[in-house]
Amino acid sequence: MDVAVIGCGYVGLVTAAGLADLGHSVIGIDKDPRKINKLKAGIIPIYEPGLAELVQRNLVTGRLTFTESIRPAVERSVVLFITVGTPSNYDGTADLTQVEAVAREIAAAMTSYKVIINKSTVPVGTARRVKELIKKHLPAPVAFDVVSNPEFLREGSAVHDFIYPDRIVIGAESVKAVALMKELYSGFLKKKVPFIVTNPETSELIKYAANAFLANKIAFINELANLCEAIGGDIETVALGMGLDHRIGPHFLKAGPGYGGSCFPKDTWALIQIGASYGSPLTITKAVVEANENHKRRMALKIKDALGSPAGKTVAVLGLAFKAQTDDLRESPAIPIIEELIASGVSVRGHDPAALTEAKKAFADTITYYEDIYEAARGADAIVIATEWEIYRQVDLPRLKSVMKDPVIIDLRNIYRPDELSTAGFRYTRIGQKDIR
Amino acid sequence: MHITVIGTGYVGLVTAACLSDFGHTVVGVDKDHNKINALKNGRIPIYEPGLDDIVQRNVQAGRLRFTTDITEEFDRTQVVFIAVGTPPQEDGSADLQHVEAVAREIAPLINDYKVIVNKSTVPVGTGARVRQVIAAHQTQKVPFDVVSNPEFLREGSAVGDFMRPDRVVIGTESDRAREIMKEVYRALYLIETPFVFTNIETAELIKYASNAFLATKITFINEIANICEAVGADVQTIAKAMGMDGRISPKFLHAGPGYGGSCFPKDTKALVRIARDHGETASIVEAVVQANQRQKERMVQKIHNILGGLQGKTIALLGLAFKPNTDDMREAPSLTIIRGLLEQGATVRAFDPAAMDEARKILGDTITYCRDEYETAQGADALIIVTEWNQFRRLDLARMKTLLNQPVLVDLRNIYTPQEAKAAGYRYTGVGQGKSSETHGN
Repeated sequence: MDVAVIGCGYVGLVTAAGLADLGHSVIGIDKDPRKINKLKAGIIPIYEPGLAELVQRNLVTGRLTFTESIRPAVERSVVLFITVGTPSNYDGTADLTQVEAVAREIAAAMTSYKVIINKSTVPVGTARRVKELIKKHLPAPVAFDVVSNPEFLREGSAVHDFIYPDRIVIGAESVKAVALMKELYSGFLKKKVPFIVTNPETSELIKYAANAFLANKIAFINELANLCEAIGGDIETVALGMGLDHRIGPHFLKAGPGYGGSCFPKDTWALIQIGASYGSPLTITKAVVEANENHKRRMALKIKDALGSPAGKTVAVLGLAFKAQTDDLRESPAIPIIEELIASGVSVRGHDPAALTEAKKAFADTITYYEDIYEAARGADAIVIATEWEIYRQVDLPRLKSVMKDPVIIDLRNIYRPDELSTAGFRYTRIGQKDIR
Repeated sequence: MHITVIGTGYVGLVTAACLSDFGHTVVGVDKDHNKINALKNGRIPIYEPGLDDIVQRNVQAGRLRFTTDITEEFDRTQVVFIAVGTPPQEDGSADLQHVEAVAREIAPLINDYKVIVNKSTVPVGTGARVRQVIAAHQTQKVPFDVVSNPEFLREGSAVGDFMRPDRVVIGTESDRAREIMKEVYRALYLIETPFVFTNIETAELIKYASNAFLATKITFINEIANICEAVGADVQTIAKAMGMDGRISPKFLHAGPGYGGSCFPKDTKALVRIARDHGETASIVEAVVQANQRQKERMVQKIHNILGGLQGKTIALLGLAFKPNTDDMREAPSLTIIRGLLEQGATVRAFDPAAMDEARKILGDTITYCRDEYETAQGADALIIVTEWNQFRRLDLARMKTLLNQPVLVDLRNIYTPQEAKAAGYRYTGVGQGKSSETHGN
């Protein structure tokens, strides 16, 4: 099928490349000429394992092309994906300016039947809104459908998630649109991926509900981790015991410094706003958001507590991205932690295998940046593990101890075993378990 | 092995019966003479599918005995399970007086090494407390260990849950006690049931954590159901799509009138209390407790809305127990709903396949108790499904319609589809089924 994907950010790029790989002829469109030029050359502006290869492979076959101009792409394509950004407004609502601009542009260029698909995470009612908008801006009456087809991509494994989805959700009002969507995803139908066909409102709510629930799982286990520290319990075992209950499942029960990233904080806030605007409060999600904020702040206190008197101390923060396998720093727990440490007179060194460029934008010259773990640790009073990168697990502990001023590790991701660190001579603080001093 | 189980309530009886079925020699002890006499005659005082068979089989085989005398066989026993009640007090904390009384009573009887197991759901720190109480009341200095081994039994499937558990949690600091507990559960060890060995505090917390999380899951989807009603979405589709996410699991995502029963309400409140007692907060669970109460009350409003008022109306309620396959009425949503209906001037007729006796104890003559579904519907202005008993899933809707004063069906468990209710001529409302949530294609 002829497909246009409008917006070549994270979601758009994975969608365009993934659909091309399914055998469709895909044009990726973006207003940013520099981005388009890079993409044409096979250079990927974001960090996502496997994506560069996927894009390059489909560029070579000619199934994937990139352009700046929307009109010819609309004219040739039956299926049009809208994958532009929907950043958060100050009140937590999603900013739909770009979605609406694209809808108007599509309307202006439309001369035959199209299916217009909202792939971005958008508030309930957006599909209807886009439909109204297009109708209003059509130069001449043309039939079209607007479909909600939310993405469920995780940064760091987005390519895998596109190729092996848990399910495909299609929110549509017309049989014709559903048939076209099934044709588009016929590769998944053959692989017996479950399809959920519903109305646009339900489809739009699914993404928020799923993400809010996962955020809930994390925030829940983090509150229990705090309780474990108080009662002498062990959160890892609590999570194991809970996770063996098949009604709960073992996933997303990893205690840590709080969730971050581009999805959970944004989607939980947006869901709360949707609830408020319909007079249907989401009190649990609200408690989750507040608990997560408190938890991030608590992490800074935990570090300061381990330092004794923080002023004048040097701390190496290992890991700045909100999770491993990404360069994304949005809402990363490392941000409030580092800000609080700086405010307490700590001099902070940052290390991250992928996110240093992004980190420099966030922290500028308030911290110093290191590409080598041992250099970051040299002369430091403590190390904080803030992201669970595999290289931190593999670190040479005796060597690390030899370069540090004081052998203190505050492990906010529980990547080490307490016994291995005490054997190596470290003072060790982790999440959800009493400290080893 | 020789095992003593103290307390033959729900947990104690299932534990005693199933352990004897594993081949151990078990004595079940209870202070209540009537209960023990009934058990000796093979009568089970609670409703639990399959339990009577197991009790009778093992009593006949001589592996299971009941007595009111705690000293009986105590010399020979190696493991003592404490399975007495821990009812919630007004502030949400568990009342441990029965547990402590048992500890005082067994302390002087300990003649050689024994393992004392807390099976009841008890607050964090109870294991340590039991150890202290026993040590203080021992007349001879004989070693013993205290173990936390929380039960994960669901009413209605407790026997299956004991025989094929998701996991067995053993909390103890002692290697000797751990080995003996492995021997107790040898039958499960052999079928590769996962065992979680940890310290007492962690074991005690796991039970609360698991139940509080499941209560959170239910309440989360209930809040999503409410928003679905507001925006015109369908909560069952959302639950289905969420459940397909391997990280979420499809269980416990059924929207309904709120959770009840003897575990979730008690354990959520207790967890909130435990956190507070230790200077921490369980803020998410606090929100869950409050939201669940609102959800129950909201159901009254739902009935009010579809009827345009409740004054002088007759309401037919199907299902009173907090869930199917039990006669347990504790914290059942039906109680909040009935109270609200009566307050607003409605008359209530009700039927439950198992919980009528329990309901009478609580509700007295404030409602009319009926023989079956159809008698309940007689002359009522609305039919409300409160508990999803299987027999309510296949009602003869046409016959029901002739009995009702008007064909209104309020399905608080979503066991009918709006389409089939509409086709049968009913005005229908479920939970979380927004107006325009008709699906297409597929």
